[in-house]
Amino acid sequence: MPVYNFKRIGPVPSAPDLVDIVLMRTQRKTPTVVHPGYKISRIRSFYMRKIKFTQQTISERLGNIIQDFPRLNDIHPFYADLCNTLYDRDHYKLALGQLNAAKGLVEQISRDMIRMVKYGDSLYRCKCLKRAALGRMCTVLKRQKASLAYLEEVRKHLSRLPALDPNTRTLLLCGLPNVGKSSFLNKVTRGNVEVQPYAFTTKSLFVGHCDYKYLRWQVIDTPGILDHPLEERNTIEMQSIIALAHLTCAVLYIMDISEHCGYTIEQQCRLFQGIKPLFANKQLIVVVNKVDQQPWETLEAEKREMIESVVKMGGGNCTLMPMSNITEHGVSQVKNAACEKLLEARVDARVASNKIDSVMNRLQVFQPQPRDNVQREAFIPESVKKQLEEDGGRPKPQKSRTGYAPTVDDPEADGDATMGDAAVKKTARDLMWENGGPGVWAPDYRAIYDLKEDEWKFDSIPEIIDGKNIADFVDPDIENRLAALELEEEQALKELEAANMENPEESDLESEEEAAVMAIRDRKKTIRLMKNTNKTNNRPMMPREFRGRAKDKHDPGARNKNEIEKRMEDLGVDASKMIERGRSLDREAARKRGRSRNRRDEDDATMEDAEPMDDDGQSKTKRKKARREREESRKRDPSVNKRTHNKPQTLEKKGLNEDTKATAKKMERKGRKGWAGGAGEGDNRKGVHLVKWMNTGKKRNGTHYCR
Amino acid sequence: MPQHEHMERHFKLHGRRMDAPERERKKEARLAHKRSEFSQKVHGIRAKLYHQRRYKEKATMRKTIAQHRERANQHANDEAVAEGALPAYLLDREGVSRAKVLSNTIKQKRKEKAGKWEVPIPKVKPVADDEMFKVQRTGTRKQKAWKRVVTKCTFVGDNFTRKNPKYERFIRPSGLRMKRANVTHPELKTTFQLDIIGVKKNPSSQLYTNLGVMTKGTVIEVNVSELGLVTTSGKVAWAKFAQVTNNPELDGCVNAVLLV
Repeated sequence: MPVYNFKRIGPVPSAPDLVDIVLMRTQRKTPTVVHPGYKISRIRSFYMRKIKFTQQTISERLGNIIQDFPRLNDIHPFYADLCNTLYDRDHYKLALGQLNAAKGLVEQISRDMIRMVKYGDSLYRCKCLKRAALGRMCTVLKRQKASLAYLEEVRKHLSRLPALDPNTRTLLLCGLPNVGKSSFLNKVTRGNVEVQPYAFTTKSLFVGHCDYKYLRWQVIDTPGILDHPLEERNTIEMQSIIALAHLTCAVLYIMDISEHCGYTIEQQCRLFQGIKPLFANKQLIVVVNKVDQQPWETLEAEKREMIESVVKMGGGNCTLMPMSNITEHGVSQVKNAACEKLLEARVDARVASNKIDSVMNRLQVFQPQPRDNVQREAFIPESVKKQLEEDGGRPKPQKSRTGYAPTVDDPEADGDATMGDAAVKKTARDLMWENGGPGVWAPDYRAIYDLKEDEWKFDSIPEIIDGKNIADFVDPDIENRLAALELEEEQALKELEAANMENPEESDLESEEEAAVMAIRDRKKTIRLMKNTNKTNNRPMMPREFRGRAKDKHDPGARNKNEIEKRMEDLGVDASKMIERGRSLDREAARKRGRSRNRRDEDDATMEDAEPMDDDGQSKTKRKKARREREESRKRDPSVNKRTHNKPQTLEKKGLNEDTKATAKKMERKGRKGWAGGAGEGDNRKGVHLVKWMNTGKKRNGTHYCR
Repeated sequence: MPQHEHMERHFKLHGRRMDAPERERKKEARLAHKRSEFSQKVHGIRAKLYHQRRYKEKATMRKTIAQHRERANQHANDEAVAEGALPAYLLDREGVSRAKVLSNTIKQKRKEKAGKWEVPIPKVKPVADDEMFKVQRTGTRKQKAWKRVVTKCTFVGDNFTRKNPKYERFIRPSGLRMKRANVTHPELKTTFQLDIIGVKKNPSSQLYTNLGVMTKGTVIEVNVSELGLVTTSGKVAWAKFAQVTNNPELDGCVNAVLLV
């Protein structure tokens, strides 16, 4: 069975649009440059391609349309009949047939004209033939204007048909106009169908879905049917009739016993008799609606008899149920009864079918034997039990939730539902609506915190203080530790006091000295304080390599000879020796720097040459190992690598001229890592790997070079 | 899921936005400017098509406006009586001038005399041999050049069989053979697709006539038995002449006008 998704039919362009689409596509997708100087075969194929391409495009577009539209013979008879009443089967088939014919014609034209182009002997002639061919194809398309327009309308309508599944569990509402079919649908489902107090508000089929026993049920609202012969029925009524005729479903025949719909009960009964043949093999419920206006009990006896006789006439599977959409009295009962009936019928049908064996032989029902005489009853929580007792053993009357449509408007219904227990607990949602709706009032979830003391609930505890998450610092046994600490402190204090009591301190210093000591201590304290105030631990450490020496500029003591001397003098140290040592180090480094790399390599080489003589007697592997170790150690040795670390290459090596060298040196002194003009990490340079002109074109006997 | 007329339903339920009529009005007011901008900017074939369409729209607009303002329109005064006009009952029945009658009869006679040979396309551009034929080189070494291939559309009878290639001087390619022609009846102003019976006369050359080549201006014989035309003597005409009005080799079809 195909899936009935008529929404997927692509839009059908109008005839002029289709012509535009086709010609534009040809223009875009085929080559456009041709010259009379070309070989004639090339010119011919150029134009043949154009003709062929146009034909292919047209065939494709028309083919898509023909394929997209459902074929009335293939789809479910319900849809086929619906299409017949809505769009007229003949017209529909004719339109599609004409498109098919047009497709054939275009193919024929293209064949003929391509044959002619094969004999073209000039560009002009080929071009004329192409022009004629495209013109003729477009003319064929233009003639399909009416069919295309019609099909577009059909498509639009089809795509808006409700997504009915003819094979699923279905409840079908039918009856005279204005008896409350749509209201029932609105109560039971979220269909949100328009309800108005005049006849034929519903002009086509509407679908809503509801749940019963965890299954999806489809509820179909049909337009009202009038009581007259089939031939006189109009399109709107015919839709209901088709739905009744073709869908296997439970039918709810809705009657208005208050006669507010404008039809007497007698008329409604007559309609029932009129369409009775359509109810064959269906589950039928006669729903007596609007009992709030005219209760079933107080209905006149003869009318009641009339209805009952009708129900009797409906056969064995026909029942009568009262209902009121406004008070919601009986709405859910009707729904449940209908669903239950249909479900049973469907299961019976399934069991009766021959496919059931394959399912049944996989099923086995076990009934466990009671192992002892212990009663194992259902567990009911204490609170629930208590509540049940309070309510007198009765479950709490629930507010009706059968329908989703707003029922709050009628205060009667609302009061009715809440009358039983005034103490229905207000939910947070109710409170929200009372206090101004969403966005104005939101429940305070702190009220339901589960804390040791109730008064803690609304304490404000920030999550983050000073950029630190409190939770990170919470120690589970912090209380114990604190207690221990406090105890210790107390102990220490006691001891101290005891010691003090024993020997009061005696200073052997004089008052002047003591003052000096105090001054020194104060100074120390302030220094420590100053140091701590400016010091935060939360700072990234920058190695000098990156930080550069620029920082040292602000601290002359680190570099300047005079400053060093001064400072050292303050401290009472002779700095001359220190400075001398620093200079000698510097000089040595400079000498090393000046030495060429080659020289160093040479040195290494001579050393290596010399070495084998030392360890002559060693085996080859041992020698190798020794060498590797030496190399490793050299790498590791800071004295070897100290200077080379930051400057792998000297400036001369980089091949810079004097000016740039000077700048570079300057920059380096300032602490930059390399020459300022050099490529940084931001320079995303890509070298040329493949040179286009060298790598394209033919590469055979010399053609590469002599173009 | 929206069902059916969901837009209308939405408007009904929720209304439209407050400035909807204002926006619509502005959009409409802006339309003229937009259109003018486009029509000034567009060029090429699109411009041609656009202006054609626009011209038609404007013509209909003018007509409808004129219809609406029927009473205010200025009409040429049909009922005004010309100076010195006579009432109908005083009109002279012999008033038709003899000179007019004479000139008319002369014209008529001339027409009859000439009409016998008059055709819709009297002048035809002659087609030279080298345009009509392509030389087919033959022989193992392609030295011989006595064969010719006809490059125009031809009519070839049903029972034609090609000659032995050794003797076949003129080749008429099967792809260029035409069997039917679109014939227009000049008086009925309708076109029929009719079978060609034969080529009566190709004005360029007798050779072409014999070969059955159809070029512009060629007179062909078509089967009109389906049309049920009747000759002056009352017999049903089953074949009639028609003149080709297009270049069949350029259009891929033969268009002709019936000679009546």
